Amino acid sequence: MKEIIFIFLSFMMTLSTVNAQKGINFSRNYAAGGKLLMSVDSSAKNVFYVNMFPNQPRTSFNYLPEVNKVSININFRKDINIQHYRYTILEDNKPIVVNKSINIAELKELNRGDEELFRSTTLGTFPIKGKMITTLIYSIEKPLDIDKSVFYGKPIPKAKIQGFSKRFATDKGVDYSWITDLKERINLTLTNKDEELTIVKDRSDIDYLYHTSIKDKQTNKIIFESTSWEYGGLVVENEFLPYVEIDKNVFKKSGDYEIIIQPSIKWTGCLDCDISPKEIEKYITRHTLSITLEEENYTRKELLIYTLIVALFIGLVFLGILYFSKKRNKRMLAEKEQQRNRAKLQLTSIRSQLNPHFLFNALSGIQNLMNKNEIDNANKYLAKFARLTRNVLDDKELISLSQEKTLLDDYLQMEQLRFGFNYEINYSENLDLDNIEIPSMLLQPFVENAVKHGLSKKGNDGKITITLIKQSNDLVLTVTDNGNGFDTENKSNGLGLPLTEARIALLNSVYKENRFTLAMQSSTNGTKISLTLTDWL
Amino acid sequence: MRAILIDDEISNLENLRTLLEKHCPQVTIIAVAQNVSDAVDAIEKYLPDLVFLDIQMGEQTGFEVLKQLPKRNFEVVFVTAYDQYGIQAVKFAALDYLLKPIDIEELVDAVHKAKHKLAAQMQTSQLDFLLQQLKKPEANVSKIALQMQSEIRYVTLSEIIRCEADNTYTHFFLEDNEKILVSKSLKEYADLLRPKGFLRTHQSHLVNPKYVKSWLKEDGGILLLLSGEKIPISKPNKHSVKQALQQL
Repeated sequence: MKEIIFIFLSFMMTLSTVNAQKGINFSRNYAAGGKLLMSVDSSAKNVFYVNMFPNQPRTSFNYLPEVNKVSININFRKDINIQHYRYTILEDNKPIVVNKSINIAELKELNRGDEELFRSTTLGTFPIKGKMITTLIYSIEKPLDIDKSVFYGKPIPKAKIQGFSKRFATDKGVDYSWITDLKERINLTLTNKDEELTIVKDRSDIDYLYHTSIKDKQTNKIIFESTSWEYGGLVVENEFLPYVEIDKNVFKKSGDYEIIIQPSIKWTGCLDCDISPKEIEKYITRHTLSITLEEENYTRKELLIYTLIVALFIGLVFLGILYFSKKRNKRMLAEKEQQRNRAKLQLTSIRSQLNPHFLFNALSGIQNLMNKNEIDNANKYLAKFARLTRNVLDDKELISLSQEKTLLDDYLQMEQLRFGFNYEINYSENLDLDNIEIPSMLLQPFVENAVKHGLSKKGNDGKITITLIKQSNDLVLTVTDNGNGFDTENKSNGLGLPLTEARIALLNSVYKENRFTLAMQSSTNGTKISLTLTDWL
Repeated sequence: MRAILIDDEISNLENLRTLLEKHCPQVTIIAVAQNVSDAVDAIEKYLPDLVFLDIQMGEQTGFEVLKQLPKRNFEVVFVTAYDQYGIQAVKFAALDYLLKPIDIEELVDAVHKAKHKLAAQMQTSQLDFLLQQLKKPEANVSKIALQMQSEIRYVTLSEIIRCEADNTYTHFFLEDNEKILVSKSLKEYADLLRPKGFLRTHQSHLVNPKYVKSWLKEDGGILLLLSGEKIPISKPNKHSVKQALQQL
């Protein structure tokens, strides 16, 4: 269509001199929509011709704010049946020509310079200042295809928003709430129940001209555009008012939005148009909508509170768990410590039970030395006895291997005073006797057993061998005798064994990282006891 | 006096021999033995007047020796290093004993008493009594031997009303109004009889609770016995006596 208009345009340039009239520059033609061309005052500028609109394919809008008179021509291609055409002209919506046929006699043939011939005639020259001339042209073959051209000689009125309404859901359906007191800035709260926002504009002859858009002021992006209006709802002077509906979801966030309603005139890109942005702004209606999304607001505040409450609760629970676990740990530690102390105490009481029978017999042995006038020996054994009892009375938890060896030497030599037997104490050379410590009196009960059950009857043939061996990280202590042996199952036999077993159990409960294991082998050829202190070294 | 020494340890035998030879010249050692069977053999063979008998001999006891002898025509002095149960029984039988290492005075005294008893020929029944007591569990011991000047009395514990100290002697007051004087301190009997329920009310008094009638509050506490006697209660003993009486 535009293409055709431009063809006409160049063609009409040549025609202009022929129809020269006063005031109108006929040499300059503007397309005016459909089959029409127009010429305007020679002084006129800012001729915004052939503005077209969505959903209005046959309407052309010519905005002529500075024009006094307009001359309208109609042009037909050669093959068109001109007799079928009728035209109507309205001035401010009042008909001045109705359904008139084209006067064939007045048609002039025009050669536009190429092979096609056009036939043209004038529809008239009209004063346009402050008026609106509308032409309706159709062929009786297609009476619904009416080409409508509007020549608008008035200033385009600025759109006026009559009101906003919110549609919200109710129990029975929907209802509307209205804001009609409009200011530059409008505060609007959208709740959960609200569904859409309606903008109602004032009624005009040229509603189709107006374009509505909504701009998010924070991002400066257009979030909504509408070029068409619906009619209904509000009625003013028996006419429905035009409105646009905006879904609530268009507004994603609370904040300021700008509602812009402006005529869809191509302010630039026309011939001879020179209009400043300030001038254009006069045609634009702007309102700032300050939207508060209550749902979001609610969520935000409540979320914060809820988050705080939940965090507080979790924190409290966590603290509680921490407190209780700490308390329990403390109690368990205390219990363990108590257990350990108890075990230690029991260990002490067991340890100090150096057989009194041995003690007094040993003293008796020393008495014998004295009575035999073996004064040096008596001194020697008395010293040993003192050292032995001191070890028991000292009640140390740990003593070095060399101390234990001395203790065993003392003990065995005291026993040798009572019974004749031989003994030897062997140890691994890589064992640091002075620095490795073991629970004191650990081996003494086993050695005592060896003496008591193994050797006391054998006299000088008896032999006890004690070994202290390093086996990787374990310390292995053995006591071997060549006595008559005893029944390892019969634990009630003698004082030493049950006591010793209790002691091993206690040691295991005190030294949890190191296992104390006791192995006993007994036959008629002798008894071997080995005590392993795992990971001791 | 011809004596046999029985001990499983040579040094003890040596020691005792040395001490006897030095301090008790009237004792002749005719044999020594280091175990039960040797001891029985030696006693049957040599028929000694006096036997020094070690109670704890390895895994056996000196009492075994006595059990295996049908006739016990000799005095016994028990010797022990440490033996709670054995010593207790020996004490109930009022027999003599020595603790190791040996106290020379006690040794001399024991030899002296043995000589006296041999002269009086009253020893054998005590050993029978001892062996009888040893057969029973300790808790069932119900009799005690009391060494009097010229005889041994075996008294049932329930017969004893009370004991009263008289220096190193002790008076026993029995149910049938009999009064026995024993040449041992009250402390020794207190040690023996307190486990049997007797009450030490005073440093000089040991009372069988069976014969207590009531607790009199006069003079800070006095026990009235069924016999009508009044026994003083010393302050330190008040609490324990009261408790013991309440438990009856």
